[in-house]
Amino acid sequence: MMWLGIAGLALPSPSPAAVPGANIFSSPLLLSVLVWVPVIMAVAIAILPNPRGRFDVLMKQIAFFTNVGLVFVLWIAYNQFESFLSTPQFAENQPWLAAIGASYHLGVDGPGMTMLLLSGLIGIVSVLASLGIRERVRSYFCLLLLAQASINGAIVARDMFVLILFWTASAVPLALLILGWGGPRRNAAAWRLVGYWGLGTGALVIATMTLYFVTGGTSFDMDVLLKATNISPRVQVIVGLLLIVAAATRLPLFPFHGWARDLYAEAPIGVTVVVAGSATRLGAYLLLRGLVAAEPAAAQVLAPLMAALAALTVGYAAVAALRMADIRHSGGYLAMIPGGVTVLGLAALSPLSIAGAVLSLFAGGLAAALIVGVCATLAERAQSRSLLVLGGLAPRMPILTWLLIIGGLAVLGVPLLATFPALLMTFFGSFKNQPIGAFAVAAGLAVAAVAIAMLLRRVLFGVPNPDAPGVSDASLGESWYLGLLAGALLWIGIFPTGPKLPGTDAPIFDPGLIKTMSAGVSEMASPYVMATPTPGATK
Amino acid sequence: MKYLVLVPEALVATSAVLVLLAGRFGWMAQSTRRRLPATVAAVVLIALVIELVQGATLATYFGGGFIQDRFALFAKAAVLLTATIAFAVVDWTAEDSLSIGLAMPLLAALGVMIAASAGDLVALWAGLELAATAGVVLVALRRPDLGLRLLLTGGVASGLLLTGLAFVYASAGTIELAAMRSVLFGGTTTLALAIPVFLLLTGMAIRASVAPFHLAGIPSTLGASPLGAGLVLGLVAAAAAVVAIKLVAALTPIPDAYSSFLQVIAAVAMVGGGAAALAVRAPRTRMAYLAAGQIGWVAAGLATHYRAGIAGSLFLLGAFAVAATCGPAVMGRAEGGALSWAGMGTLRPGRAAGVALAVLSLAGAPPLAGFFGEFAVAAALAQSGHFALLALGLLGSVMSLAAAAATLRLIYVHSPLDEARRGSALPGLTRLSTAGAVALCVVIAVYGLFSSPILGLADQGAEALGLR
Repeated sequence: MMWLGIAGLALPSPSPAAVPGANIFSSPLLLSVLVWVPVIMAVAIAILPNPRGRFDVLMKQIAFFTNVGLVFVLWIAYNQFESFLSTPQFAENQPWLAAIGASYHLGVDGPGMTMLLLSGLIGIVSVLASLGIRERVRSYFCLLLLAQASINGAIVARDMFVLILFWTASAVPLALLILGWGGPRRNAAAWRLVGYWGLGTGALVIATMTLYFVTGGTSFDMDVLLKATNISPRVQVIVGLLLIVAAATRLPLFPFHGWARDLYAEAPIGVTVVVAGSATRLGAYLLLRGLVAAEPAAAQVLAPLMAALAALTVGYAAVAALRMADIRHSGGYLAMIPGGVTVLGLAALSPLSIAGAVLSLFAGGLAAALIVGVCATLAERAQSRSLLVLGGLAPRMPILTWLLIIGGLAVLGVPLLATFPALLMTFFGSFKNQPIGAFAVAAGLAVAAVAIAMLLRRVLFGVPNPDAPGVSDASLGESWYLGLLAGALLWIGIFPTGPKLPGTDAPIFDPGLIKTMSAGVSEMASPYVMATPTPGATK
Repeated sequence: MKYLVLVPEALVATSAVLVLLAGRFGWMAQSTRRRLPATVAAVVLIALVIELVQGATLATYFGGGFIQDRFALFAKAAVLLTATIAFAVVDWTAEDSLSIGLAMPLLAALGVMIAASAGDLVALWAGLELAATAGVVLVALRRPDLGLRLLLTGGVASGLLLTGLAFVYASAGTIELAAMRSVLFGGTTTLALAIPVFLLLTGMAIRASVAPFHLAGIPSTLGASPLGAGLVLGLVAAAAAVVAIKLVAALTPIPDAYSSFLQVIAAVAMVGGGAAALAVRAPRTRMAYLAAGQIGWVAAGLATHYRAGIAGSLFLLGAFAVAATCGPAVMGRAEGGALSWAGMGTLRPGRAAGVALAVLSLAGAPPLAGFFGEFAVAAALAQSGHFALLALGLLGSVMSLAAAAATLRLIYVHSPLDEARRGSALPGLTRLSTAGAVALCVVIAVYGLFSSPILGLADQGAEALGLR
């Protein structure tokens, strides 16, 4: 089934599929709902009276059901999504700052819908992972909802002004969440995050302004800025370099990864899940949209640089994970690996590798969220983060053992997990165009496999440490949030094209992520398609 | 009916004089004193409504000395809105004198209004001096030493301004701004013109407390009462910026005379303001440096010397005036130092939200008023090819954002301290102050939402100054 899905990507363009129930529900405000409802609920939580924390549970419930509602809306959008169209869907376009040419323009194509699904799932997971929050519950969930809203906003933005607005806005609540609820080194973690992401935002703004300048300074709309044909190759390369810096600080890629280790080690678990799962994927999403899909000349020139950054990131993260003596640090470094794989797919500039990169956005986000989440939960349950203390935990925490194994395997991209088709497509599409980068990433993955194997052996199957503090297995809430991540990885891994009615091509309830995500990918990849010689053609 | 346009100025001036007289001669009963801030806020609100209704009338008065155009409408509406919210939101128990505390912001607002409608150099100077003097009075009320410092530095600024204005008059042969612009068209930048322009801009930079000329302005605000700090940081700086915009518009035919200098001032202010805000810890000090950084963005818009940039500056100025004036006012006492606002999100949620949004807006955080203003200026910088200045501005904004996050952490994440450790009493809680804090939050939050008509009006304002 998975192979059918992958093979389907090679077809020229999918014909309109009769999705049962398509177009029954459509709303011109659907994307605005996904962006602004969390904001409204955050404001509601902020102003809700809460004498002596009496309504803390209610606030958690509001945050949870807000996310459940958003996923419901997303599920409708996912089912209504017309995967044969390459143009943005559910579009909203209202003039905003006419004087400078900024508009409130939203819309999603296949990669955008994939990112939205990831963000929706991560939203629920992050709330479940945060149920243990006891202090300043109001502020925590208010900030968490604001962070989710800003991530959704950045995904659906079709105007660079709107993108910058939400891209920048996401840093503030996340930094505050780390500052307020993080571990002992939370200050360093938060300020590094602000510093690196601030640098990335600066690069993004300058790239946008450069495009704005060269396109006549009339509009920030992506259709104008990113589809302009009169931009000189030199300017494209400058803009491309700036976008790479912006993406590298967010994803993160070596050498802009300085914030990642501290953040994944110090932030509260719900926040690490949001950062690893969806906030960081925005970096690769920006590269896809701003460079690969928009500036083909610059992408061709900068592809070796992107491949090198991808290889360095995977290699560095794998070696660092191997050497760490702290399980949360190890998890943090392992979470950098899917980002490197995604960027390799983008660097290869072939239709298959770009499709692999898009799937890797989703699968890699889930894998990164699972590995940092499970490492953090395990450290909490074992009352120690030190790999010198942890040992032989498998018999005493079976649920977390399984989840850690799934998380490790998901990072490596083994079959039956969503990262497998992503990795497969990325590598199949990359070995021809970026052979050195692809081999280097593969070598990095081999080192990562060693690191994960050693981690599993030491923590789960090693000799139990008699002096270690008492351990307990995952609670119900923790099992749910980690189980959701693992379940989503398995679901997409087993049914990438969605389950079908036996003997037919009609999807039951899931139209298939691969089908949805490929909407628009062939257009993005069209500048990189090699001309096929026609039989019998003469010179 | 023609003179209805002047009603807002008349209301503001009359209110200021009446409040001063009533305070001096003790005409007010205790119950009247309690209601006075709300009454004055209501009067200013009425003035704002009249301005919005009648201010759209284009007219000139007093032989061209007073001009009502879109620029004046925008600037006056912004300053009246600022004054209304400031009067509502301020903690009057932390002020030294009710009557002077009410009268001085009114006079400062009047100064901005006079400068905004000024048709010649004299009215510009008079408006700026009126606003600045009101600031000196309010600062001196609590700290005479700081008041004296502000007065002396202001005197230097005034001297530079007058000298510059005199030389500009000598070069152009007229004091009327429109005529000056016509005379300068086709002319070249001479040293005799560049030096007075340099003096003028230096004088205004001192008045606006733009780094590196902030050494009197910002320290003065730290010892002043909350409203005094807001007055100097917000309204006086706004008056200087209004004067600068009108002068730059008149001098656009000779951009070489000022553009480079303004770029340097803007760069130093944006980066210096952000760095200093990051370095300090006390909320009011941080707010002061954030304001200095944002006024640098206003200067950057002026440095582009064309319509979009000046419109962006004017748009940002509106956001700046509200946040920089009302921010310190809503903060209340600042004697307790860095931890005086620890955990205020729990103790005074309305005021805390007002401070948080004001700080974030001054830092240029999305999606608040300051972000939209700074983005409009950034777009103008990109349009005019000033990428180095844009990059420096972004650097300053990143630092400002980090500083704002630290203040938010103090307000919302830090646990509240007891009275003894806090070092200052909690800000007073009245219905008026709560309404004011809510109004402040709403204005800062929805400025961006309604940015299209507001920026459109600012653009018309720039056009009214003769820019195409």
